[in-house]
Amino acid sequence: MDIPIKPKANSIDKFFSPKQKRQRDMLALSPVTNAVLTILLAIGCILTLIPIYVIVIASLTSEASLLTHGYRLWPKEFSTMAYTFLFSQGSIVITAYKNTIISTIAGTVLSVLMVGLYAYPLSRPNFKFRRFFTFFAFFTMLFGGGLVAYYMVTRQILQIQNSLWALFLPSAFSPFWVIVMRTFYQTNVPNEVIESARIDGASEWRTLFQIVMPLAVPGLATVALFSAIGIWNNFFNCLLLVDEAKYYSLQFTIYTTLNNIRFLLENADKMAGLVNVSELPSQTFRMSMAVVTVGPIIFAYPFFQRYFIRGLTLGAVKG
Amino acid sequence: MVLPGAIWLLLFSYLPMPGIVMAFKTYRLVRPPEDALIQNKFIYSLIKSPWVGLENFRYLTLPTNVDATLTYIRNTVLYNLLFMVVGLVLSVALAVVIFELTNRFLAKLYHSIFFLPFFISWIVVAYVVYALGSSQGIVNSIITPMGFAPIEVYKEKLAWPFIFLIANIWKYTGNGSIIYLATITGIDRELYEAAAIDGAGKWKQFTNITLPHLIPVIVLLQILAVGRIFGSDFDMFYTLPNGAALVRDVTQTLDVFVYGMLRSNLPLGYPAAAAFLQSIVGFILILITNAIVRKTKPEMALF
Repeated sequence: MDIPIKPKANSIDKFFSPKQKRQRDMLALSPVTNAVLTILLAIGCILTLIPIYVIVIASLTSEASLLTHGYRLWPKEFSTMAYTFLFSQGSIVITAYKNTIISTIAGTVLSVLMVGLYAYPLSRPNFKFRRFFTFFAFFTMLFGGGLVAYYMVTRQILQIQNSLWALFLPSAFSPFWVIVMRTFYQTNVPNEVIESARIDGASEWRTLFQIVMPLAVPGLATVALFSAIGIWNNFFNCLLLVDEAKYYSLQFTIYTTLNNIRFLLENADKMAGLVNVSELPSQTFRMSMAVVTVGPIIFAYPFFQRYFIRGLTLGAVKG
Repeated sequence: MVLPGAIWLLLFSYLPMPGIVMAFKTYRLVRPPEDALIQNKFIYSLIKSPWVGLENFRYLTLPTNVDATLTYIRNTVLYNLLFMVVGLVLSVALAVVIFELTNRFLAKLYHSIFFLPFFISWIVVAYVVYALGSSQGIVNSIITPMGFAPIEVYKEKLAWPFIFLIANIWKYTGNGSIIYLATITGIDRELYEAAAIDGAGKWKQFTNITLPHLIPVIVLLQILAVGRIFGSDFDMFYTLPNGAALVRDVTQTLDVFVYGMLRSNLPLGYPAAAAFLQSIVGFILILITNAIVRKTKPEMALF
């Protein structure tokens, strides 16, 4: 497993940095092609943003307007009722929020630590079991025991079901990011720095935490970002391992809400008299739930962005 | 230092591996006797359960089930192939175009926007599908006044391949392009200048310089993708159709099928047999693909 690309340090940073002038007059696109591509991409961007727009607008539509006119691209009446309602008494949402925030933080810290620790020895040429532990991690990317065995092991042997552990422990490590981080250490932390730290008497651990990891911040930040997204958006762990409402994650909660309502609405005629459709949690309420689910993780983006493109490119991916 | 990660791998990845034998057993829960060496119920029952050979696989190919099994295998493989090809082409195209844009500020803005969907969960996408395509949805509020018959996606089989394809492109193209963009920025500019002097146009430059530099990454990612061809993006296939039974023929993949059997009252051996196929076929395919690559271009092989 070698890394096929080793971009020159920071080349992608320079590419995106407006301060650096690229010398490419000879290679520049013709103005016409450039204009056409710019417009095409702009259209692509608008299309990309439409789904996000749809859900925000739906959450801001007033309930009455929704019932009479259905969803619209531009609602007849706006209303922020759904959000007021959500934060005043949406206790299931608040519990789910709490669970998800706790597990995202715990899972992200854990995965940065475990990946950072596991990858470091693999990047050092003098580590005796380097090949073994690389293979040990890599093999799991190729072969697995399958869902049924995994389900039985997590529930019957590890017994992490119905706890917050279930929401983040299964996602707290990733062989893929180990390989990326290993390369990142190799290409970004000069061997001389590590050796001189060792000569000055720093222990292996101290070298790692005080010398190597600070130099590897972009890589570690990338691992942090992706694992945070992974756990925040995780649905499967909760679906598979949690049966008690008090441990539900955010994604699971909003999914079951959508699912229940759709079922009830579709079968309303069969259940006439049993369910009063107008008493169901309002449609806009559900859309606002979806919006607040997206919120926090989007805000994480700018904080990590300065690191992550560099982290990804220098650790440049390989299986 | 490798210890925490190694323990995690052992528990979450290696421990389930022997469990793959469930595919050849009739799993029965037995309480281990007091004096048994192994007190864990699952391990004890697994060892004590009788071997039944291919019995579990026979269930998948019963006349009543064989159509469903084949349909789900077809869905899984076809969707994966579709996403592989379309994803590859669009990601590479996006990376090249972003790189070529003259205005750097716009290039960055565009790339940030295309990457954004990667942050949004499939559950939220399921809400979008609902808001757009349900009987009260936006699509209907636009097309019914124009005189078209209303559409409801949860009853419309034809719509789903497009929904999945668009959703997949939407979510992953920006993320997929990062790696190609990184490779392109690493290519020596002098190569392009020399080519330009020799009169090569942009397309010639792409096929003769950019593409050869991208091939190793492309091959690598495709080998890994081939290994996952019997797997699928569970969250997407499970949540977008929202359990709609009418479109199951075109939305259900093996993963979702296995999960459904696992949570039903069927003997565990049945889903285990399907999961066994997924693991083994994926593993064998990755070995074969890698062997072929190794034969033709040894330096690009995964291992």
